[in-house]
Amino acid sequence: MNGTVTRNQLIFDYAAGKLGPSKSIFTSAYLYLNSKASELNQTFESMLGDDLINNENVPTSNLKFTDCLKSNDYKEKASKNVDPITKLLGPLSDIKWKQIYKGFSEFNPKINDEDELKLIKMEPGASIPIHSHGGKEYILVLDGSFCDEYGKYSKGDIQINDQQIKHTPIACQDEGCVCLSITEKDAIFFGRFGSFLNLFTFIKSFFK
Amino acid sequence: MDYSELSKLMVKIRDNRDQIAFSQLFDFLAPKINGYYLQNGLIKDNAEELTQEVMSTIWSKSELYDATKASISTWVFTIARNKKVDFFRKNATKSLNEEDVREFLYEENNKNSVNESEIKDQVNRINKELNKEQRKIIKMNFFENKSHKKIAEELEIPLGTVKSRIRHILTKMQRLL
Repeated sequence: MNGTVTRNQLIFDYAAGKLGPSKSIFTSAYLYLNSKASELNQTFESMLGDDLINNENVPTSNLKFTDCLKSNDYKEKASKNVDPITKLLGPLSDIKWKQIYKGFSEFNPKINDEDELKLIKMEPGASIPIHSHGGKEYILVLDGSFCDEYGKYSKGDIQINDQQIKHTPIACQDEGCVCLSITEKDAIFFGRFGSFLNLFTFIKSFFK
Repeated sequence: MDYSELSKLMVKIRDNRDQIAFSQLFDFLAPKINGYYLQNGLIKDNAEELTQEVMSTIWSKSELYDATKASISTWVFTIARNKKVDFFRKNATKSLNEEDVREFLYEENNKNSVNESEIKDQVNRINKELNKEQRKIIKMNFFENKSHKKIAEELEIPLGTVKSRIRHILTKMQRLL
């Protein structure tokens, strides 16, 4: 499986500043919770910093250092010691969850982006029916843990699923779990049977 | 100018608000930052505006520079990158203040961060492992933000080769950590 490559690609794209808002927030939370991922990000930022210092492709400009001394963009730093998700959405305990079915709830912060960012909450022992994915799906465990056919995922772990993967996630019996998920857009079908296939995708989306 | 000279200037700026040190740092860094923005597809006016913002941030937030957390090059790169991200999203509706989160990661993420010398060791190890062309592909793809297709054209190699090389590099870097 190419999960490692996809995960590294996500971290590297984050370091390079290439991600859209949803993936960027997702990756911030991942780096906060997972020290290995954070280290990889630091290493990559350091490489890009070297590229900056050694950049020889430098045209002349009219910039003057005196223009930079009177800066007013200084802001007092906001509250400390809060993780990125709490900082963005408030405490997890205050989230207004929408129950999709018994034991499974969602919260959609409605970010303007082609990738959909959602918070998911599963009560202890709750499961999601077997399903596969249109685009890629990224899941980060924020609290608790879940299991599926591929293993156990705990706080700070991510799972990346593509079209080929079918799985049945089950929240752990004792604690349940809260996850952050990103879903890339489903493929849209065109052609003679397009509308039928799109209807199928629409119906399928209820089972995600 | 090497890293230790740059770092000394930065310490003078941070601790003594030394304007002469800042002018020297400016002469060295501003053209490189400006070049980075131009390579990332910004037009001249925007590139210069953002460069000025980056240099202003370096001056006004100098107390955030901490050499044990990140080398000066990394610190400056992250400021420049964050301004680039914000610039490209300026027209999108921002429902969440993402810049705050990235700044926060730099400032607060102590529990996870590895110290600067360990990171530099890793970068050296990786640079030793990667050959010149692999390093060039990394630079083009991530620093200059070029698409796989563009890299293939410029290096005159097939698109599939660019893709498989990037995959190879990503896997290799994982092994080295």
